[in-house]
Amino acid sequence: MRGHGFLTGAYIRGNSPLHKAPVGLKVIALLLISILALSLTSTIVLSALLVVTALLYIVARLPWSRLGRTLQASAPVVVVLGAFQWWLAGPVVAWHVVAIVLCTILASGLLTGTTEHSAVLDALARWISPLRRLGADPERFALTVSVMLRSLPFIVGSFQDVRDAARARGLEHNVRARTLPVLITTVAYARQTGEAMMARGLGDDDELG
Amino acid sequence: MASLTHARARWTSTDLALIGVFAALVAASIVVPGIPVGFLGVPITLQTLAVTLCGLTLGAGRGSAAVALYVLLGTIGLPIFSLFRGGPGVLAGPSGGYIVGFIAAAAVSGLIAGRGIRGQHKASWLSAAALAAVLIIHAFGTAWFLVIGKSWGAAIAADVIYYPGDLIKGAVAVVVALALHRAFPDLLRRRR
Repeated sequence: MRGHGFLTGAYIRGNSPLHKAPVGLKVIALLLISILALSLTSTIVLSALLVVTALLYIVARLPWSRLGRTLQASAPVVVVLGAFQWWLAGPVVAWHVVAIVLCTILASGLLTGTTEHSAVLDALARWISPLRRLGADPERFALTVSVMLRSLPFIVGSFQDVRDAARARGLEHNVRARTLPVLITTVAYARQTGEAMMARGLGDDDELG
Repeated sequence: MASLTHARARWTSTDLALIGVFAALVAASIVVPGIPVGFLGVPITLQTLAVTLCGLTLGAGRGSAAVALYVLLGTIGLPIFSLFRGGPGVLAGPSGGYIVGFIAAAAVSGLIAGRGIRGQHKASWLSAAALAAVLIIHAFGTAWFLVIGKSWGAAIAADVIYYPGDLIKGAVAVVVALALHRAFPDLLRRRR
């Protein structure tokens, strides 16, 4: 289906230690890398952290092209950011800021590259179930998440259709012409989904109450 | 089960569907090509527009729930933050303040929109709601720049360049939300 590629395309199949590590552990570890990067004041230690994060791509046996693609995507932002900080505060501060940004970008690439999104959702379901005592409703939550993931390709596809239509009418740069039709379709789609769910007794009060 | 959940108004199946679909809308907004230039690493996308629309069309409760769902799934690792990033590190990076601000922006703009949608001056109320959303997103973004160690001057300089674009997106959000409420009159009005 159109538009789904970006969600599944990030994951690269493999059996490295990073692929096998539990999702929760990876999330916490990558959060620690980012917090560490933000709090370090020593340029050398920060640079070392960046190198270690990059080396984790080898541990994860992700192809080098993945690292390159991640860096390429963020390059314009990083270059402008670095140049601006250099001009404002000198090369050391500029390197600090760039290294922090690169650390967080590389860390997030590691997580999405080694974790299938179904694993992420399974982990989420596990974490949320203890909250039942507090009045949370894991079933309704899981249902909403699945509606979100199912409708993502539809909405991305709708944006593409509407862009083509707007281009044909010479309205490619008109933000309204490129969003309003998508929103109308999106709301109608949501209502149909809601009605279909209700017809099957999903997510309604009576069924779970 | 859960006497607690029955105390407040429960969301219907359609409410859950709207929350899920609007969360997907925010995620989809990063796929639509934006303007990838910025001083502090925050790319301009249609995200502000999508977030504001969550508040303006769904109101405070469902709107903030949709945005919070998006932020939650991005935080635990789906590549749905700008530049196809995902994971908690993104929240710690320069865009972190904006992302957290999205939730507050949807809540506050939804509150204002819900108040104004019944009255005569829908357009003015929705404009106020959209303006509030833009201001809140930027306040969170700037505050976070300060926390991660930029000076006041740099934080404001980095943030201020996004104002013109975001104000335009706010205006578009008002136009789109007005049309949506015309097309689906009970979208926000009929709350039990």
